[in-house]
Amino acid sequence: MKKIILLFCAFACVALSASAAKLKIKLPEAQLVGTEVPIKIENLEREAPPPEIEVPDGVTNLAKGKKVTSSDDFPLIGELELITDGEKDSSEGYYVIIADGLQWVQIDLEKSAELYAIALWHYHVQKRAYKDVIVQVSDDPEFKKGVTTIFNNDHDNSAKLGKGTDKHYVDSHYGKLFVINPPVKARYVRFYSNGNTATADNNYVEVEVYGK
Amino acid sequence: MKNYSRRDFLKTSGVACGGLVLSSGLLHAQGNPKDKVNIAIVGYGKEGEVLVDSLLKIPNLNFVAVCDIWKPRLTMAFVRIFREKKQKAARYEDYKDLIAKHAKDLDAVVIATPDFWHSPMTVDFLKAGVNVYCEKMMSDTVEGAKAMVRAARESKKLLQIGHQRKSNPRYIYARDVLLHKNNICGDIMACNGQWNRAVTKDVTCAPKVVIPQETLNKYGYKDMHQFLNWRWYKGLGGGAISDLGAHQIDIFGWMLGARPTRVMASGNKDYYKKDWDDNVMCIFDFDKTFQGRKAQVFYQVLTTTSSGGGYFETFMGDKGTLKMSENPGISKLFREAEAPKWEPLVNQGIIGKSNASDAVAAVDVRESAALASYDFPENIPGFEKNKPIHMYHLENFINAVLGKEALNCDGEHAFEAEAAVFKAREAIEKGPLDFEDADFVVSD
Repeated sequence: MKKIILLFCAFACVALSASAAKLKIKLPEAQLVGTEVPIKIENLEREAPPPEIEVPDGVTNLAKGKKVTSSDDFPLIGELELITDGEKDSSEGYYVIIADGLQWVQIDLEKSAELYAIALWHYHVQKRAYKDVIVQVSDDPEFKKGVTTIFNNDHDNSAKLGKGTDKHYVDSHYGKLFVINPPVKARYVRFYSNGNTATADNNYVEVEVYGK
Repeated sequence: MKNYSRRDFLKTSGVACGGLVLSSGLLHAQGNPKDKVNIAIVGYGKEGEVLVDSLLKIPNLNFVAVCDIWKPRLTMAFVRIFREKKQKAARYEDYKDLIAKHAKDLDAVVIATPDFWHSPMTVDFLKAGVNVYCEKMMSDTVEGAKAMVRAARESKKLLQIGHQRKSNPRYIYARDVLLHKNNICGDIMACNGQWNRAVTKDVTCAPKVVIPQETLNKYGYKDMHQFLNWRWYKGLGGGAISDLGAHQIDIFGWMLGARPTRVMASGNKDYYKKDWDDNVMCIFDFDKTFQGRKAQVFYQVLTTTSSGGGYFETFMGDKGTLKMSENPGISKLFREAEAPKWEPLVNQGIIGKSNASDAVAAVDVRESAALASYDFPENIPGFEKNKPIHMYHLENFINAVLGKEALNCDGEHAFEAEAAVFKAREAIEKGPLDFEDADFVVSD
């Protein structure tokens, strides 16, 4: 399993073709409500807007409207389709919660593509850090071969997918941008999580996969 | 990986998800009736979710029914309970249908609906012979709260109100061991407290989950916006001073062992321009605390700023200060520079170690020396670091239903605490007000 080195500098640049443009990600409005639950987790990075990156011309969100499957086909609330419906609002009716424990959701991009970045919003009405966040891409829908791990903050290898060294982060309206440098060719994108610092829930609001 | 597929669910439950699914209460019959509690949940909004998350960790509960007028939330409650407990709770939109069908089998109900429903629901459940745990505020009106107390008296059933700090081992320790037994603060002449939150937008939802207008009207809401933002509306909720302030104003009286004698309060509606005040500042006078002293309590709840470090209650004496919060990270003790050393208390494990580095040297001779801070002790009886803060209070309720404990916040005592909140709200309109004994008790 190949581990990609991620660059989180303010102006991370991906390997570019001759023509490149800044990746424009439309952020949802901040919408925190209620009392904050203390985030008790080690290795937590400071909350920050996503890094600005440049991507080749023609790179778009390939995930929009694409089919989502999951280790849990019976969400607690919402439907899996909400994850790729283009709506990043975190209010009732816009998010899905799948079973607690280690679970995954997977997006089928329908064909293999060069992937440059992935953006993820778990839930941003309450500040939380999700646990064991692992992002992988592959051309194998079973994720048994040709798997590239893009991000992994499972520090104790509780998910048994390899020990991760990436930091925990606070999910907010900024979401989390995973920069893929160099780009990777893949058809399927899979996201693992194992609850969060406030609840045992695995929430998903939206995923965007940038490639061409 | 814990997996329950839709197919598994349908196979196990033997029913389709739609319409009312009737629960049998079979578990009650199968288990030891002395230890098994048949329970219903009414209201599964954000607070209901927090309570159910804790209830699911308490053994020997049989979830008989859940009720909410919002179908996605009702389904969520049902699925969550099924997944955790393999119990098929019956689903209801109208709590009266739930009572009609299940009251005879129920030992307890947990109510977490908007405030204006608390009183009628509680009264109806008590009259039907069901013990009630109801979220605070007891009601949006004094009369509603009084009706709850009277119904508890008449029914001789238990009524616990959700002032959960009263069951929190850290709060009990602070009151009983630190303030009362060890007199750690010396004479407490002043207190302050706050709950400050940053600006938030109105709660919204996706169009596809909007409740039909007819249903909203049936349950007392003008529209979906009012349903989602009921806390701001007169007739439905009580604003921030009720939602947040009630928890803390309760604690001042409880810690000081007294009722307030006077209140002055000021409110400001200029930011959100809603029915209730955005920000409230109030001062309560106590003429005789547990120490026989007078004390003043300043309390503020602000919804336009998170300034000032979150939410806490501070008890300031001539020997030291106790800063309490549900968030252990905010809780601290401060010793006055001239007070007797606290090292003996540290050595006995009554308080934690000193954080000498917190103390900042005085920059001016007119300033008092900065106070050295101390932590709470590592081990507080009954306190578990990772236990949800509402769970202690729910456990106390369940144990009371089982006859193993007395309630930590019954209706009578909750009313006493909330009387101060009702009066503070009144004082915003009328100016400083004196309390009378009759303000704190419910006549028959």
